[in-house]
Amino acid sequence: MQDLIISNLSKTYKNGVKALQDITLQIPIGMYGLLGPNGAGKSTLMRTIATLQTPDFGSIQLGGLDVLAQPNELRKVLGYLPQQFGVYPALSAELLLDHLAVLKGIINSKERKEIIQALLHKVNLYEVRKQKLGGFSGGMKQRFGIAQALLNNPKLLIVDEPTAGLDPVERNRFYNLLSEVGEQTIVILSTHIVDDVKELCPRMAIINKGKVLVQGNPLQIMENLQGRLYEKMIHKNELEHYKNEYQVISDRLYLGNQIVHVLSDKHPGSGFKLIEANLEDVYMSQIFNA
Amino acid sequence: MFYEFFIFEIKYRLKRPETYFFFLLLFMFSAVGVEFVFQGIDLGLVKKNAPLVIAKTMGAITGLSMIISSMIMGVPVLRDFQYDVTSLIYVNPIAKRDYLLGRFLGSFVVLLFIFSAVLWGMMIGEFMPWNKPNEFLPFQLMNYLQPFIWVVLPTLFFGAAVFFATGALTKNLMVVYMQGVVIFVLFMITKGITNETLQALFDPFSLTTLTKASKGWTVADRNAALIPVSGIMLLNRFFWIGVGILALAIGYNKFKLIVVNEKVSPKKQPQEIKSTAVIFTKRLPLVTPVYDMKAQFVQLLLNAWFHSLSILKLISFWAIILCCFVVILVNSVSLGNAYGVDSYPTTYFIIEELREMSIYFFMIILVFYAGEIMWKEKDVNLNLIHDATPLASFVNLSSRFLGLLLIYAIVMLSLIAAGMLFQTFNGYYHYELDVYFFGFFLELFPFLALYTFAAIFFQALTGNKFMGMLATIAFAIINVAIGVFGLEHALLNFGGQALASYSDMNGYGHFLTAYLWVKIYWVLFGVLLLIFASILMAKGNETGLSKRWTSGLKQIEKSFRIFSLVCLTLFISIGSYIFYNTNVLNEFWTKGEQSDFRAGYEKALKQFEYLPQPKITAIKLKVDLFPSQRAYQIKGEYLLTNISPVPIRQIHVQKLLESNLTLTDVSFNCPATTNKRYEKYHYIIYELSQPLASGQTLRMNFKQTLQPKGFEADNSDIDVVDNGTFFDNAVLPSFGYQKKYELQEEDDRKHFALLPRKHKAKRDDVRELVNARSGSDSDGINLDIVISTTAPQTALTSGDLVAKWNTNDRNYFHYKTNQQIINFYPIVSADYQVMRDTCIPLGNTKNKPVDLEIYYQKGYEYNLKRMMESMKMSLDYYSKHFSPYQYQQLRIVEFPRYRTFAQSLPGIIPFSEAIGFVMNIDDQKDVDMAFYVTAHEVAHQWWGLQLEAANVQGQNMILETLAQYSAMMVLKAKYSDKKVQQFLKFQLNEYNEAKLKSSKKELPLALVENEEHIYYNKGAIVMYELQEQIGEEHVNKALQHFLKDWRSFNKQKKLNRYATTLDLIQYFRGVTPDLKQHVITDLFEKVNSMK
Repeated sequence: MQDLIISNLSKTYKNGVKALQDITLQIPIGMYGLLGPNGAGKSTLMRTIATLQTPDFGSIQLGGLDVLAQPNELRKVLGYLPQQFGVYPALSAELLLDHLAVLKGIINSKERKEIIQALLHKVNLYEVRKQKLGGFSGGMKQRFGIAQALLNNPKLLIVDEPTAGLDPVERNRFYNLLSEVGEQTIVILSTHIVDDVKELCPRMAIINKGKVLVQGNPLQIMENLQGRLYEKMIHKNELEHYKNEYQVISDRLYLGNQIVHVLSDKHPGSGFKLIEANLEDVYMSQIFNA
Repeated sequence: MFYEFFIFEIKYRLKRPETYFFFLLLFMFSAVGVEFVFQGIDLGLVKKNAPLVIAKTMGAITGLSMIISSMIMGVPVLRDFQYDVTSLIYVNPIAKRDYLLGRFLGSFVVLLFIFSAVLWGMMIGEFMPWNKPNEFLPFQLMNYLQPFIWVVLPTLFFGAAVFFATGALTKNLMVVYMQGVVIFVLFMITKGITNETLQALFDPFSLTTLTKASKGWTVADRNAALIPVSGIMLLNRFFWIGVGILALAIGYNKFKLIVVNEKVSPKKQPQEIKSTAVIFTKRLPLVTPVYDMKAQFVQLLLNAWFHSLSILKLISFWAIILCCFVVILVNSVSLGNAYGVDSYPTTYFIIEELREMSIYFFMIILVFYAGEIMWKEKDVNLNLIHDATPLASFVNLSSRFLGLLLIYAIVMLSLIAAGMLFQTFNGYYHYELDVYFFGFFLELFPFLALYTFAAIFFQALTGNKFMGMLATIAFAIINVAIGVFGLEHALLNFGGQALASYSDMNGYGHFLTAYLWVKIYWVLFGVLLLIFASILMAKGNETGLSKRWTSGLKQIEKSFRIFSLVCLTLFISIGSYIFYNTNVLNEFWTKGEQSDFRAGYEKALKQFEYLPQPKITAIKLKVDLFPSQRAYQIKGEYLLTNISPVPIRQIHVQKLLESNLTLTDVSFNCPATTNKRYEKYHYIIYELSQPLASGQTLRMNFKQTLQPKGFEADNSDIDVVDNGTFFDNAVLPSFGYQKKYELQEEDDRKHFALLPRKHKAKRDDVRELVNARSGSDSDGINLDIVISTTAPQTALTSGDLVAKWNTNDRNYFHYKTNQQIINFYPIVSADYQVMRDTCIPLGNTKNKPVDLEIYYQKGYEYNLKRMMESMKMSLDYYSKHFSPYQYQQLRIVEFPRYRTFAQSLPGIIPFSEAIGFVMNIDDQKDVDMAFYVTAHEVAHQWWGLQLEAANVQGQNMILETLAQYSAMMVLKAKYSDKKVQQFLKFQLNEYNEAKLKSSKKELPLALVENEEHIYYNKGAIVMYELQEQIGEEHVNKALQHFLKDWRSFNKQKKLNRYATTLDLIQYFRGVTPDLKQHVITDLFEKVNSMK
């Protein structure tokens, strides 16, 4: 059993915000998507797992390891890419990676050199490895971030909102890298972008306001909405009316008109058509129901 | 619009806690400002709240607080950039004038509010309960207000303008932090300007300007006059206000209301290489992280190097270093010593100078970069990544600590290089790398290391860079204060004692042992601080002290617990060992206990002050010195005679008050019982079974042993050392009450309800007229002494060397006087080179040559010829004009620089290694002070050794002023008049400077007490004037007769008292024509100002 088991994790901040409420999750090897809107408590959960924050209640186990009791043991097998991070602008990517590798206990200089070279190639920063980090673009910096998270062959990789600010090509490259790592590693990917999870994660959870709303296989989760989801194109002015009448889980503009998705056990009436549920609908319905 | 910016700035600042913090800091600092700024400077009769004192204090506080000014004034514009709100602000239709002026004036008003704390603080300081009313004038608001407006405000404006402009133009926070320091450096540089007027003009804080402006003021002026609004002060203030306006003008013109300054960020964007076609598909290599001890050690070293390197890459660091070297270059290494002549650039002089000049910079580096290095991850937002690594917290902090140490080491090595370069330029090629190394790495390095421990601890404790820096500075200041106020024990005073001066003769001597133990103890304390800090610096983003502490405790591992416990145990064990040495093996006295004891001594024993005691007439000693153990054994025999008219029943024997010193086997050749009533004071009364009748003699035998145990931590015990033992007969048992043990400080005496102490008795005090020294034990002795010491050392004292031999690797020397000498002789022992010569002094009637010898350490040959020539010329002149020289030898012997004087004892002149020997005399521009000092000391063979003066007012005029006169005449015989005039000018300067600092009303020379500037400096001028007025031969004639009539031994008519100035002046009057009698009155009996 190498699963990460999170049980009854709760955290309330001093200002009264309940960031985590009785969170219980079991996360096996592979990609695990943690989906939720901004401020849902994703980062708090990630930081707590990464031992950077202590919960008020609950426990975290990795294999046989009690993470809260022995945080440093977890750090030895941890790769962590925070949502926001900076770098020493005056250092080169290679030098900072070297420094971080030392901190992670890779003191054999040959080993250090090899892993750094490999990672630099992997994240496609090899050519700019000697340049100052201060001049890196957002995407390059993000790739640097993932490189440092992989320095120590982590058993647990936590990536917090990694795709924010990446262009589609970069995002794609990033996905490939993550899924490759996910073959032997627990990878927790937190995001508010439904596509990230859809494309990568065989397992996922949706959290909002510190609570787990739903967890499981995305396909199974989508199954729940099958045959209950209807779509209709309406006039903008009618939105208010529809929201009162139906259980509207999402609305968006399409060619100047409003498209609403409505959840209903029976056919809601004229103009509505039954549609296939996708993950976004699941997400929206969960968030709205909560 | 202007008003909006103006008010915004004020409102913003009023909401910030640091505004009030700065205010409070300045307020508290100013309340004790005078004490701090004038620490160790005697204000004399000038009051502590005189306008000039207030102005200087305010100026200094303002100068030291420029960094506050920089933090307030540097950021108003920068802040908009820092928080990225420039786009939001600059896009609005605002006028540059309103924006800049509003920001500037708003901040300046806040700055004025903060610095008004100086005004309030100093005023409150006047009413502090510990103040002594006699040191203060009645309170006057104007005395504070005027200096504040005239000294502080212009400085503030200048600083504010410059800081504001640079902050707005550079938009760099580090520049803002640094420029306060830079201004301070600027000030230090002005101190190096030799032209007084220019220096006064360019001093940004007006300190030297004030000195210059008040030159020639009398004490009354100093107490009454406000700061002049004219002359140099006016120019200085206008100059700096002008610089301020200029800075504002430049800043205003150059500043543009645009967000992106293209010039500022020419960073090249790295070219993205579009070679994505080759996707790296290889699996990542496996790594094997290790976390054992060895791995942690490697981490420690690699990280230390990483942190050092990152500091070395900072421009700000190089700016500090540059400033440091500029200051050293401009101030140059000052080799001047007490006599106005440069010394040779010996290594220890250079080190002391370099240390003194660089210490500020080391402290700046320490405080700043301890803050930088601790929060560097947080500053760039790398802390989450950093904290998620398994690096042990202690290894983390230790590597930062080591990183800083490495920086110090690098700076020290460059200072050493600079020192050697300086020596080379001065044509001095005797490089002593070991002395350099130890001078920096043994003396300064541990001090810095300890404060670095503290700095890191305070950073961790406060959890905030800025607060941590302030806490470190406050800690350093408190430490200095604690040392002054009496937490004296090395185990309690952070860092322990400084290492005693390095002596070329004795190295660091025995002081090193205690120093090292105490430093190990404190380093262990530092490690404990680091352990605390590493717990407090818990990983993760917990805030709040207790949270961090508990979270940190949870993270520590077992091995670390053991390590901490080991450190704690070692700390306690070594502390105990030191305590055992300093307080059990040795006695430790706090200042309070010492005062108690002295007061008790006086109260119990003062009754015996003038109790008739027998006088010593002959002394036989057998002295065995053990320099390496710093021990001796003395077997002694006194021959005592009752010269009083009454029989003596009690002999009061006072043992020297020193630990490890025992006086045993005291016996008389007459049965005596011991009265131990005052044993507490080592004062034993022997009741003679048979009273000693007037004129009868008594023999006393004793044994005295000095056997140091363990070590003491107070750098005392400089008498008996490895190489360079020097003490005199004052260590031997003495008779009756000893005035030297009385409490000296008036305040202390008042505290113990003791009467004020008289400095010197009046000239008609019959009880002191019979004493040549306080409580003198003798009116002349014959000495017979055998000294043994470890080979190859030579032991010396007064008298003829009648035999010397070597047994068991020990050198024995037998000295014997062939006539009476005063009861004052040294014991000296060291490994010496000898320069020998002989001469027959011109005036000696017997044709017996006098052996001239200089005992010196190897390497100190520079001035031997000058000293030897001076001995010869002096002996010639004095023997010819005063009286024949009385001994068959005259020896100069060098002793270590723990004491810096030369002293004349019968036939022997101990001379400190720090003076005379190392003077670098340039005959073009210098007065040959090696020659002069020697002549002065040789003169004491007459004035003091042939003729003693009564222990009353004017005694020092007879002893010292006459020695000054004599030496001047020898100087005049050898050198041109120009040199003599140069010498006199130097004396006049010294006198005028000391006079300002003297807290006593000046007495006429004839009544001088213990004021060196009167009997040395003024004395020289007065005597020169006298011989100009009445002629050198006449003065000599008077002195010759004075000496003949009043000499201590072999005089024709027996006198029952010693000479006073009353007697001496009669002789002067005797050779002065009536017309010029007033000259005598003016010179000796009145206080006239000197020109």
